[in-house]
Amino acid sequence: MKRQQVYLLILASITIPLFLPLGLKHKVTPEVERFYQTVESLPAGSTVIVSFDFEASTIAETKPLAQAVLRHLFARNVSVVSLSMLAEGTGLGYSFLREVADEFGRKYGEDYIFLGFRPQYQATILGLGEDFAKVFPKDYSGNNLSDISLTQNVRNYEGISLIISVADGDLPQYWVDYAQTRYQKPVLAAVTAAMATTYYPYLSSGQFSGLVGGLKGAAEYEALLGQPGLGSKGMEAQSLGHLMIIALIIIGNLSYLIARKKI
Amino acid sequence: MDFSTSIAAILSLFIFSFLYRDNPFYKIAEHLLVGVSVGYFLVISIDNVLIPKIADPLFERKDWSVVVPLFGGALILARLIPKWSKWSQIALAVVIGVGAGVAIPATLQAQILTQMKASMFSFVPPENSIGWLYVVERIVILLGLTSVLAYFFFSKEHRGAFGIYTRVGTYFLMIFFGATFGYTVMSRLSLLIGRIQFLLEDWLGLLN
Repeated sequence: MKRQQVYLLILASITIPLFLPLGLKHKVTPEVERFYQTVESLPAGSTVIVSFDFEASTIAETKPLAQAVLRHLFARNVSVVSLSMLAEGTGLGYSFLREVADEFGRKYGEDYIFLGFRPQYQATILGLGEDFAKVFPKDYSGNNLSDISLTQNVRNYEGISLIISVADGDLPQYWVDYAQTRYQKPVLAAVTAAMATTYYPYLSSGQFSGLVGGLKGAAEYEALLGQPGLGSKGMEAQSLGHLMIIALIIIGNLSYLIARKKI
Repeated sequence: MDFSTSIAAILSLFIFSFLYRDNPFYKIAEHLLVGVSVGYFLVISIDNVLIPKIADPLFERKDWSVVVPLFGGALILARLIPKWSKWSQIALAVVIGVGAGVAIPATLQAQILTQMKASMFSFVPPENSIGWLYVVERIVILLGLTSVLAYFFFSKEHRGAFGIYTRVGTYFLMIFFGATFGYTVMSRLSLLIGRIQFLLEDWLGLLN
């Protein structure tokens, strides 16, 4: 079988379910349930940090994750202080935040704020624990933090109930190392599937209060919210794509064994 | 379908064309990606870091204390001039010293002590758990942890009973690699699905 034929088979297996939904169902895993319940247990009026720690290349996974989490937060009347630790995540994170905030009619400066980007993770995370305004004297739009009502009331981690990192790399680990260990702030991670296995030990040790991994995790979260979104839309394609890859691995191995016997 | 969506869609197709073989369209998209990424990073860095952290304090608030880190940062650039490169070592020494000082206690606490504590557990099942399953889970964790650690213990030859035990460790490692690879395949497939959805829904409007 030629390489291009394999590509076409995978393309077909993920495109067909997009046109003809099969009605497959998926189960909510305990780690996603824990994430959901942690957000659910926040009292209305609390404030959380959402850090958009991803780059543009993983938008297919990080956008459904970010949207699902932000929808849950705004639905629960939780205020959001957000930022990005990666330059590419800055514009994307800001646009996702505005999009979901507009859906819920939330006001910038009162219900949510976007601080922008800072390099040097350790210094940023530790600095936020002392004073937001020291690390970010102005928000992403150039407003002084002292003029914004949300940051007049919440000045550092003392006013923060939870930290959520939507990430495609190792940034959630930095939040654990510096914000959770030093300031005892609960950390939740919504990460790409490729990073999920790295973070399971943090979940079982209690350093993460919940973990949502990849498009599947986003679909499970949307199911808990009762609001299907980008995650749910892609899950059938994902399942059929996996079946096709499994079939191709089996065919490839059988062909290899048959060819070896002939020799 | 707006203009920017069409541009993004055409560039996606240019990149996908590599699946057939390398070609000039792929090269155009690849070079554009590198150029735009660097440009974007530069603009964000100037707008989000240099202006609020250096220009504003210096010129608006006349806060001269920022001259110290600015001078330290400038020293790093001295590496570019061979005659002055030794001066960059001062700035690098500060970065390494402070970085290690901040990172070592935090990493030790979060990634070693807390993880060790999490692996020291009781075998007595809590009330709301399935008793035998809880015990089996704990045995698997203990066996996996100790056998993998034994595999990475190189001061004793991996032979006899110790060799068998380290072999168990390699099986645990293989299971981990398999799970990680499976998750990576899932992740990459999600990225492809996202792009196909973008092309069919946002660009062509074929999906509801």
